[in-house]
Amino acid sequence: MTNDSAMDRLSSASGRLFIATAAFLTLAVLAGFGLLAPASTPGQIFWVLASKSTLSSTLRLSVPIVLAALGGIFAEKSGIINIGLEGLLIISAFAAIFGADATGSLWLGFLIGIVASTLLAGVFAVVCIEFRADQIIAGLAVWLIALGLAPFASQVFYGGPNTSNVGTFDTITVPTLADIPFFGALFDASPAVYIMFLAVAASWYVLNRTTFGRWVRAAGENPKALDTAGVDVSRVRYAAVLLSGVLSGMGGAALAINIGQFTGNGPTMVNGKGFIAIVAYLFGNYNPVGALLSTTLFAGLDAVQLRLQTADVIAVPDSLVQTIPFVAVIVVLALVGKTRLPEAAGEHYESGEE
Amino acid sequence: MEQAVHLDGITKRFPGVVANDDVDLAVEKGTVHALLGENGAGKTTLMNVLYGLYQPTEGTVNVHGKTQQFDSPRDAIDEGVGMIHQHFMLVDPMTVTENITLGNEPRKWLGLTVDSEQSRKQVRELSERYGFDVDPDARIEDVGVGVQQRVEILKALYRGADVLILDEPTAVLTPQEVEDLFRVLDELTDQGKTIIFITHKLGEAMEAADEITVLREGKNVGTVPADDITREELAEMMVGREVLLDLDRDPAEPGRSILDVEDLVVEDDRGVRAVDGISLEVRAGEVLGIAGVDGNGQSELVEAITGLQMPDEGTITYDDVDRTTDSRRERIEAGLAYIPEDRQERGLVMDFELVENGLLGSQHAADYTSKGRIDWNYTRDHAEEIIEEYDVRPPDANAHAKSLSGGNQQKFVVGREFARDPRLVVASHPTRGVDVGSMEFIHDQINALREAGRAVLLISSNLDEVQSLSDRLAVVYEGEIVDIVDPERVTEEQLGLLMAGQQPDAVPTIAADGEGHR
Repeated sequence: MTNDSAMDRLSSASGRLFIATAAFLTLAVLAGFGLLAPASTPGQIFWVLASKSTLSSTLRLSVPIVLAALGGIFAEKSGIINIGLEGLLIISAFAAIFGADATGSLWLGFLIGIVASTLLAGVFAVVCIEFRADQIIAGLAVWLIALGLAPFASQVFYGGPNTSNVGTFDTITVPTLADIPFFGALFDASPAVYIMFLAVAASWYVLNRTTFGRWVRAAGENPKALDTAGVDVSRVRYAAVLLSGVLSGMGGAALAINIGQFTGNGPTMVNGKGFIAIVAYLFGNYNPVGALLSTTLFAGLDAVQLRLQTADVIAVPDSLVQTIPFVAVIVVLALVGKTRLPEAAGEHYESGEE
Repeated sequence: MEQAVHLDGITKRFPGVVANDDVDLAVEKGTVHALLGENGAGKTTLMNVLYGLYQPTEGTVNVHGKTQQFDSPRDAIDEGVGMIHQHFMLVDPMTVTENITLGNEPRKWLGLTVDSEQSRKQVRELSERYGFDVDPDARIEDVGVGVQQRVEILKALYRGADVLILDEPTAVLTPQEVEDLFRVLDELTDQGKTIIFITHKLGEAMEAADEITVLREGKNVGTVPADDITREELAEMMVGREVLLDLDRDPAEPGRSILDVEDLVVEDDRGVRAVDGISLEVRAGEVLGIAGVDGNGQSELVEAITGLQMPDEGTITYDDVDRTTDSRRERIEAGLAYIPEDRQERGLVMDFELVENGLLGSQHAADYTSKGRIDWNYTRDHAEEIIEEYDVRPPDANAHAKSLSGGNQQKFVVGREFARDPRLVVASHPTRGVDVGSMEFIHDQINALREAGRAVLLISSNLDEVQSLSDRLAVVYEGEIVDIVDPERVTEEQLGLLMAGQQPDAVPTIAADGEGHR
């Protein structure tokens, strides 16, 4: 038992190290080509990678995924697997635009998006904790409800699956720093990007340094231990799931306001980001910083993929280029091996039951 | 002397059951009090009442001379009553300190943040005051069971407990760890703490306790000082009738060899030779006992013989047929019955009903099938026969295995395995966690198999058990057989030395092939 877990830690750590090394070497090779032979194909790829706009679109793509992943970490660490993150993103994306439209303020819209997502997360929490529903089924229900409700509401209020445009946040630009090549993108970004970085830091601190974070972890590992220590497990889990609603709400609202519009065709504008968030936090081993890094890997590849399509660097069909991020995720997951789930994740807990 | 705990006329009724019936219990401050009784006698229920997990139907709870009304464990903790459950309430990936302070963390910065420096300091002080050897920064999953138990005790002390309730504290410990625990209990009572510990083991109650209260069928049978009572008297109080602790039986008349193990080598997961060249033979009509400190290759030896693990070298022969590489199924069909050491892990499927559990291992047998499907009527009858014959409680074939107490689970496993009418039985700790009445019964069954000319390989860390049941006793140390001795003539000191890998003088050795047997 003891050895197994130590082995798991070791093997997943070496898997992560391997990926980091491989990524670094690839980057070094590309950089070599970029500096020595900028006209060659790898050279061109490097300059695509190293451009400021690649970083800024990476960050933009990361915002909803990272925030939803942070929410997923809190919920799952507390023992409630929330696979409804996708639904929370959808509902908050629509509510944010609708709110901004109705109130005339983007920030009020942002807030309304968060409230909508938190309410839906609250319903999910009640169903899972109070009524002992299966968490996976309830999570899918959250997704399906949002997937139906948001475009329907859009149809009612805007006469189509797409809402009208409400405008976007102004970027916050730090003078001088914004002019640094590549990394300047960090200082010339939407407020949502800064919120994301703050949320990652705050989440890490809450999980690892506060009593609440400790209770969340205990609730997910051994709820009975927490219960006998005199802490109400249900309350901790409610708080964690509601927090996942708040964080996902920030993600969905930021996603929509970044474009200025909610588009509700097919899988909606969220388009699987909530599910990628789950992969991101699993790959990041429930660590907020890990979730951020794995998301930027995915979002970065997505940004590169988009740019490669337009840059016309390599003679490969676009549809193949589009698969790059997904193939990368599969490879990465295969190499990382298994992540250790919290012991009691997915299990209902009732105080006083033997 | 001052009374730390006084339970007055406690009655606890559950729908259809009276778990405690007008029980009085008085415990003096600074003493160790054992609560002794068979499984299901109401010991744990009574303590759960004291700990606030249950509210008594009638009667009052007095702690330190004051009548208390505990609505939850929290209330009990506030009054200085702490309980260490049989299954530890610890969070494995967290550290010792995090576990001890869980729910009562020292805080800083407006109560937002855990003060981990302060936590660690408090835990270290506490651990030193009571002479506990615990590393505050070790992770629970990396420390042994004995240490985990000490962490549980520290957890209760950290919350200010004066009265500590321990539920079956020795069930999961090795003999050495039990010794350590008893030392810890002495240290605690020296410092004025009061200990109540629940047990069904006579020897432990007599060794560790100052006073013993015996419960039977929910009633207090009597409270006696541990110094002036005999094992036989205590056993009679527990069971309600005279119990034969020593078996009376005829000498063995071993027949031909049933199990033959030659030069067996088994490597464990880490590539260490856990079994390092063991040869042994078990003949029809005899019990070969294996004694040794846990972890000296017993598990691997059993797994190789029963087909759960393939040996790296050597041969295993049943009835003159080489079965070294046979599968479990082939071995079962050859007449092997196996009582695993961990009934919950290997003996039963906890979420299955007893009907389904009774089928395990026999699912290929023709008796249990009808037209290519499972014959559930036959299977149900089979489970009900086991339940009746082995007195499994509750007597309900539809009960899930997990709803039974440990002793009843064990009785069901033993019953299922013996019902195969085996030629060879491998019994690994067959009475672990079983009460005295059931233990006597299981021992009788093992004896009956021996009389019927079956071969039995018995592995147990309980020396009384292997000594009284075996015809020959092999002592293992670091994967090798140190010696095979006559269990009737060997002394406990000699056994202890052999188990430590030493070779004491004048050991009544019996040759491995059984020559020179009495």
